[in-house]
Amino acid sequence: MELLFTLRKLEPLEKLLPFADGVIAGKHFTTGYHLSLEEMRQAARFCKTFHKKFYIAMDDFICEDEKMLMYDYLDFIDSIDADGIFFHDLGVYNAAKSYGMLSKLIYDGKTVLCNSFDSAFFLEKGIDSVVFSRELTLEEVKGIVHNLPGRVDMQIFGHLRMSYSKRNFLTNYFRQIGRDYDFKGKETLTLVEEQREYKMPIVEDEDGTYIYTDYIFEMFSEIAELKDGLKRGIVDTLFIEDDALIAQVLRDYKRVSSSNAGFIRDSFLHNHPGNYSSGYLYQKTNIVKE
Amino acid sequence: MNKIELLAPAKDLEKAKIAIMYGADAVYVGGKFYSLRSRASNFSLEDLKELSQFAKRYGAKVFVTVNIVFHDDDYQGIREYLRYLDKIGIDAVIISSLALIPEVKKEAPHIECHISTQLSSLNSSAVRTLKEFGADRIVLGREASMAQIEQIAKKVSVPLEVFIHGGMCSNYSGRCVLSNRMTLRDANRGGCAHSCRWKYHLYDGDREISEKDCLLSMSSKDLRASAYVERMIRAGIASLKIEGRMKSEYYIGQVVKTYRKMIDEIYEKGSLSFDRLQYYDLELSKAENRPADDGFLSGDCDNTKHLYGVNGAGVTHDYVGFIHDFDPRRNIAFVEVKNVFARGDELEVFGPKIDNRRFIAEVMFDEDYEPVELANRPTQLLMVRMPFAAEKGDMIRKAAKR
Repeated sequence: MELLFTLRKLEPLEKLLPFADGVIAGKHFTTGYHLSLEEMRQAARFCKTFHKKFYIAMDDFICEDEKMLMYDYLDFIDSIDADGIFFHDLGVYNAAKSYGMLSKLIYDGKTVLCNSFDSAFFLEKGIDSVVFSRELTLEEVKGIVHNLPGRVDMQIFGHLRMSYSKRNFLTNYFRQIGRDYDFKGKETLTLVEEQREYKMPIVEDEDGTYIYTDYIFEMFSEIAELKDGLKRGIVDTLFIEDDALIAQVLRDYKRVSSSNAGFIRDSFLHNHPGNYSSGYLYQKTNIVKE
Repeated sequence: MNKIELLAPAKDLEKAKIAIMYGADAVYVGGKFYSLRSRASNFSLEDLKELSQFAKRYGAKVFVTVNIVFHDDDYQGIREYLRYLDKIGIDAVIISSLALIPEVKKEAPHIECHISTQLSSLNSSAVRTLKEFGADRIVLGREASMAQIEQIAKKVSVPLEVFIHGGMCSNYSGRCVLSNRMTLRDANRGGCAHSCRWKYHLYDGDREISEKDCLLSMSSKDLRASAYVERMIRAGIASLKIEGRMKSEYYIGQVVKTYRKMIDEIYEKGSLSFDRLQYYDLELSKAENRPADDGFLSGDCDNTKHLYGVNGAGVTHDYVGFIHDFDPRRNIAFVEVKNVFARGDELEVFGPKIDNRRFIAEVMFDEDYEPVELANRPTQLLMVRMPFAAEKGDMIRKAAKR
């Protein structure tokens, strides 16, 4: 399993890269990255120098008006010889095909790729791999990994995205209450449902609004038996400012095995207390209203 | 050029028949399995067969939703299901699992694959990808503007379907699992709790920045795209889709009939005047619905297109009765009571062949021929004398006192 982390800004690259096999970075058609194209070029070069992988996150939807930007961006991606592109909009498939880049594509299914059959369908279309959804139980994850060994990726750490809208929820809300509030670029805003207590991070950018889980997903105890079957494991750093914590996460995912998993998890949680969860790994959602 | 299709939803057999009788060219329905909208009654295999036969008599089509986000276990029995749908003459399945495309082609060769709005197809490149994958029709994402829809339609050859009316997800379809986190109900497998319509406090760090008397909500107004129907026709869109598999027969009847007449008038006259558009909008407002606007069709969705604190209906008329039969010798309609009305009320009848005819309910009897002053027992069957003829399937409403 390749161990990747999302590079949200350039600064921690040098510090964190030694603990990982590569990074994911982005500028257009994604969210939460604060890199210029020039910084992405530098980061790609830096990764290549150290024989690490450099991937692009291009995982938002693309409107008809934005197609020109999509092609320009693919030109840029081609020019820096990125190792792969995480995509979600199926328009990228068609466009990447014309660039001869199909084998670099990784379909990030976000919330809608929950089975082996759809995963296999995409792989048969000539792409490199798929990232399956985060809303799966451990048994379901094992099933997909078993069915498609070495062809699937998974987010293994970080806040999980829960919703993605084209609507500008924050802009519209402040307009509604008649208040000027500068939230652009801020990653400190949270939502709390009126009957509940947990705080769910919310960000808005030019592409829309995104809401994430209040907790940080972790699977130190489970990763050992999946490592051989997963192609890539992704540590998402969004909303996590502590680089030392990320370094520890990467170190621990690298060294974790079936014999030390319990110890690693316990010591991580002891040294880095916080709101962690195994997400849906042990929590099956109801299919219908009960 | 083929006339644009009017596609209506139905949660059960009765409503599907209403939709077809009131002018839908096609209906889309869910089976007991594999379909979102778990609270819709949904169709048994026998119901689907009966609907298929009924639709054929009217020259209408039937599409079946197979649009949950599948987990591995969910595929059990899908091949048999597809073969059955093919056998009974279903015209298309609406799918979000692309792995089903080759299965449909193999197991159900007479059935078309329509790609659900769950795929949020918003550009011509994505549409081409789906066509290459074997799709026969693409339902565009509800985030596309009218201008973008026109651009996409110009560039692709595969038929496009566009939502024109009804509720909208405030997030991209399928990309919201708020319900999973907050209620453990799987939003993508029929369990959506509509958490987007709830109220939320907003914090920056530890400081609350929301107004306590106006909390943040993601709830969107419903879609009403009547003003865009003409442009959709000119753009060559194949199908106009009404949302609402949870809606009543009254809603289905009224909305379908209104769009049916509007489409026919555009084809007949070449365009629609402002006055006529206003008339149709007024007709649409007689159906039960939440406040509505044109969504992303006009471009942006600003705060005026959200619902903050308001969730009520803007309905102008109450649906009070369904006509099960009519005796032309006595001018008596056999009416199932749906809502309260009284002797002396002015009522309005509409139906597949009747347009908003009004009368005063002067003579009403129950099944024992006892006179009735107040009809307030839902499902009770009454005999109501009318000054004009009606037909089975017509509906009765009265102006709402709000």
